[in-house]
Amino acid sequence: MKLKLRIKDREYEVEIKKEEQDKFKIKIGQKEFLFQEEEGEEKISFTRASLPKRDFLKKELLSPIAGIISEIFVKEGEFVKKDQKVLILSAMKMENEIVSEFSGKVKEILVKKDQEVKDGDVLIVLI
Amino acid sequence: MKIKKYKVVSSTNLLAKKLRPEPWLIILAEKQTVGYGKKSSRWFSPKGGLYFSIVLPKSKIEDLQTLTILAAFIVAKTIKDNFSLEPLIKLPNDVLLDQKKICGILTENIIGKEVKSSVIGIGLNTNIDKFPKELEDEATSLKIELGKEVDNEKILKQIVEGLKEQLKTISE
Repeated sequence: MKLKLRIKDREYEVEIKKEEQDKFKIKIGQKEFLFQEEEGEEKISFTRASLPKRDFLKKELLSPIAGIISEIFVKEGEFVKKDQKVLILSAMKMENEIVSEFSGKVKEILVKKDQEVKDGDVLIVLI
Repeated sequence: MKIKKYKVVSSTNLLAKKLRPEPWLIILAEKQTVGYGKKSSRWFSPKGGLYFSIVLPKSKIEDLQTLTILAAFIVAKTIKDNFSLEPLIKLPNDVLLDQKKICGILTENIIGKEVKSSVIGIGLNTNIDKFPKELEDEATSLKIELGKEVDNEKILKQIVEGLKEQLKTISE
């Protein structure tokens, strides 16, 4: 089952999947949580699947693909608008203009020009 | 096949990114004033060459990457099939003839939460008589290799059809 959840002004894609008989998985954005129904009890315990620590409230821009940062257009402390171009990521002859998914202030730029990044790496954090 | 023809543009990729038109529209120019390749390197684009950008449908980034690499094969195949020349592919996507560059391909994507737009730009040296001194040793054209002019529009059609076919296959 897939659904969209809106909390404040952010939208999350939530997917609920039955894994085994008494286990099910909930996927929120890139994060996965495993739930298990305990027999005879109403209580539900959960473990977090092996995924990196991420704060949901943080506005993080992630690398969509492995590549090299070829240009950065913003500075820390600067305000960016949604859809504003923030950097260029080169990958196998593709030049990818990364635009911000959110409006906000640049809290941290975690990459430098010419740095190699992996798919899913956090590039920029906004607040 | 929908083609928007221009006499001169800064770059067909730049224009396609700015216009963000419907998928598979082709922006074709007789010449480019600032044709460019990877890392903004210049692409010599005088009248006579074939310069075009194809607006791609929204696809997964992995598919776009595959398509970009396949584009070089499609261009090489088009050259081989039409003119019995032996092009060489320099991965990921330059095409060489006689060890000189004849075609350059550059895909540009705009990515936010997902891929917002993608355009693949192809510069093929078709009817170029001669190159400036600094490029003479590294670039060639079909006209130089064959000693005669070629039909730009026919080549364009074959490349676009080839790409459409490939994208269909890899997206499935």
